[in-house]
Amino acid sequence: MLENKNQWLGQIYNKKNIQDCISKIKERYGQQFSESKSIREQHSHTMTIHESELPDGVLFASNKNDVSEAVKICNEFGCPIIPFGVGSSFEGHVNAPFGGLSIDLNNMNEILNVYQDDLLVTVQPGVTREQLNTHLRDTGLFFPIDPGANASIGGMSSTRASGTNAVKYGTMKDNVISIEAVMPNGEIIKTSNKAKKSSAGYDLTRLLVGSEGTLGIITEITLKLYGIPEVIAGGRVSFSSIKDAADTVITTIQSGIPIARIELLDAMQVKACNLYSKLSLPEEPLLLLEFHGSKKSVEEQTELFGEIAKDFGGKNYEWTSNNEERNKLWKARHDAYWAARSYMPGTEMYSTDVCVPISKLSDCIVETVKDLEENDLVGPIASHAGDGNFHVAVMLDLNNKNEVSKLGPFLDRLSERAIKMDGTCTGEHGIGQGKRKYMYNELGNSVDVMEAIKKSFDPNLIMNPGKLFI
Amino acid sequence: MSVLEKELEISDFNFEFNKKDAVTELTKEFGQQFSISKSVREQHTDTTTIHPSKLPDGVVFAENEIDVKKTVEICQKFKCPIIPFGVGSSLEGHVNALYGGISIDLNNMNKILYVSPEDGYAVVQPGVTREQLNIYLRDTGLFFPIDPGANASLGGMTSTNASGTNAVRYGTMKDNVISLKCVMPNGEIIKTSNRAKKSSAGYDLTRLIVGSEGTLGIITEITIKLYGIPEVIAGGRVTFPSIKDATEAVIMVIQAGIPVARIELLDQEQVKACNNYSKLNLPEEPLLLLEFHGSESSVKEQSEFFSVIVSDFGGNNFEWTSNNDERNKLWKARHDAYYATKSCKPDLEYIATDVCVPISRLSECIEKTQNDLTKYNLFGHIVGHVGDGNFHVQLMVDPKNENEIKNLNKFLDDLSKRAILLDGTCTGEHGIGQGKKQYLVEELGGSVDFMKNIKKALDPFNIMNPGKIF
Repeated sequence: MLENKNQWLGQIYNKKNIQDCISKIKERYGQQFSESKSIREQHSHTMTIHESELPDGVLFASNKNDVSEAVKICNEFGCPIIPFGVGSSFEGHVNAPFGGLSIDLNNMNEILNVYQDDLLVTVQPGVTREQLNTHLRDTGLFFPIDPGANASIGGMSSTRASGTNAVKYGTMKDNVISIEAVMPNGEIIKTSNKAKKSSAGYDLTRLLVGSEGTLGIITEITLKLYGIPEVIAGGRVSFSSIKDAADTVITTIQSGIPIARIELLDAMQVKACNLYSKLSLPEEPLLLLEFHGSKKSVEEQTELFGEIAKDFGGKNYEWTSNNEERNKLWKARHDAYWAARSYMPGTEMYSTDVCVPISKLSDCIVETVKDLEENDLVGPIASHAGDGNFHVAVMLDLNNKNEVSKLGPFLDRLSERAIKMDGTCTGEHGIGQGKRKYMYNELGNSVDVMEAIKKSFDPNLIMNPGKLFI
Repeated sequence: MSVLEKELEISDFNFEFNKKDAVTELTKEFGQQFSISKSVREQHTDTTTIHPSKLPDGVVFAENEIDVKKTVEICQKFKCPIIPFGVGSSLEGHVNALYGGISIDLNNMNKILYVSPEDGYAVVQPGVTREQLNIYLRDTGLFFPIDPGANASLGGMTSTNASGTNAVRYGTMKDNVISLKCVMPNGEIIKTSNRAKKSSAGYDLTRLIVGSEGTLGIITEITIKLYGIPEVIAGGRVTFPSIKDATEAVIMVIQAGIPVARIELLDQEQVKACNNYSKLNLPEEPLLLLEFHGSESSVKEQSEFFSVIVSDFGGNNFEWTSNNDERNKLWKARHDAYYATKSCKPDLEYIATDVCVPISRLSECIEKTQNDLTKYNLFGHIVGHVGDGNFHVQLMVDPKNENEIKNLNKFLDDLSKRAILLDGTCTGEHGIGQGKKQYLVEELGGSVDFMKNIKKALDPFNIMNPGKIF
């Protein structure tokens, strides 16, 4: 079915029209535009095993009028547009399967306004989360969403990113208050004003969040901010089984402990971390915790958690509210990505994610570990356990064709498993190119509704084609 | 009538509805489950606003999803309007049958289908009311927090993106709906998402349907988040010399990260009315009412911290208690606010409206609104969900007094425009319905065209609750 769709799409975009469009963009934007191969390569790097598919040119937009004019020109010629942030997405979102124009938004990196009293900030899409938090340092406020990479806020909005502390602070959908976007006809819209809540009309804010650049290009984002917690404590505890760890997480959440992070590493990931970070943790499932609050409340949380963990056989529980020691406790998690990467020298890492109702998390992880073993694949697992979300970092020797050929079927089984357990084929990475084929399996005829919306916004299908379901 | 004609004229959907044949076929299909009796039709129209009531041509009492699907298919076949009906407690004329058609009553779809304590969600039919759900949950230690005041149906609350007093802590319906099943205008049944806590798979149809006021489809099943009942619930009360002092205290409380569960403001006139009605002797000054949720020590800490902050802003007579009976006494003014206002003018009609602004603009908005009440010689009290920047004006008006109605309309017009000018919204939780259509355009401009695109793409014949939102 997907092949038919790709073929059908291939016929929509006319090479000559795209070339004409690119010439017009070049003429209009001069130095802000580039056709150099190396720049085009940088803008289609997928971080995955998807092959790079280069755009025909890259526009470095300086402001929303640049974006709007370029979109109008592309719409006139039926030329694909691919918005580009820092390129850290995992499912080939920035690839250009039908060529076209990549619009690089990194120069739109201004923090426009901090509304201290309202706990809001308005930023341009090229602002990165670290840049934002550095800027906020003196205000006592912070923006919590942390997908690991120093991603751009525009990209994070577009993929509905989240990360380790979503269990407390939610995902991008919960933290974007309003969006300004250039729509496929070049019109600039604002999805909402800045009140904390609204019942006025359809929720276009949350329609654009997670739409992966297929409905419009985000040019301004208003985000929620939070007060930096008085005390941040970290903790660590080992378990003999994934199930015991997952049951601890479930009970912790049920008892209303407002835990800020609760991360699970499987035995293999712990082993990788021991090697990489020179630790000597028991090679068993490990939970890493973070507690935010006042001194008293953090103390209470850590104690209550300790009791719960003990009930499920938790071992070597440690916690601290000292910053340095906390970083030590968390070292395994901080280095997990690099530990996984270096675990099997000579291999490339392919990162994927699924998310299931938390009651199914241990089953899903255990079955996935078994699947990896049965197929001779190496894939450490790190989980945002409080959300039922986990990542598998499959390590592949790209010279070993047999091994590489196992990846696709493994990913198919993983997605299918998550979907069967009433979960999703992606909790935070997005669909991009890589997971298009699972959309119908997961959401059935809802995809037709999405398609109807897409066509009503973007009748010429210029916005990031070949992604999501189009 | 002239208003209706004007609406038809400006409607983008220009064709004839065929209601007669739909009624004939529904009678055949549904027998006893379908009624055209005048008294039944009168129960299924708007009764809570000053808009003239418009009756539907018939009422279907749906027992299950198949009934809904059949009704939609018949209405689709004859291009007959269809208006979903819960308990009819909405405040902007959502259930008024502006163009006649079929009201579909969902009250018999009132089963609680499934509760998953581990995952913290419940699956319910749309006719389940929030009180019914919380009574059902009592033994599980869980509760559903969203509380709009009325014992509304969860289908209706979803459709209007309802919230209420504890949104400051638990969010609005959009934050608490995990997944929906819906009969779409073409009769197809869709599921908007699986039940993982988070997902990055495709457009967020869940939040598109939440708040869509029955204009995109009819909700037949809702999965909602549940929370653990707090160990301790404490209540508090404090008065302030001015609205400004009260809102500044609230801003500071939120910035300090006190996880207050409710924080309600009553203006001086409202306090006066409550003193009379509930035989209290509160100082006739702006009043804040608080609720703190948590463990015993955390609640104590919150209350103490709160008391320090409010005294900095001139708060007087701060009292708090974690005893249930005493808490109800402290909160009596809020619980009785609606009746207190009504009892002031028992012969007049009660009208409620709401707006929401960034919290930094709240005192300005309330003070100007108070001045307007005087200017237009209207009798009204203000109650605010101040933590969200949201407030209600409860007005008592004489619908037969033309001059007063004229003033009321001017007042409402000024109020919505003021909120929008302050970067807020013309409705924080009631919805657009029939009453606020013009302000939606004023608030969101070109965005409304994209909402209309969605509407036309999903409901080309405009049969779903026509004349609402747009």
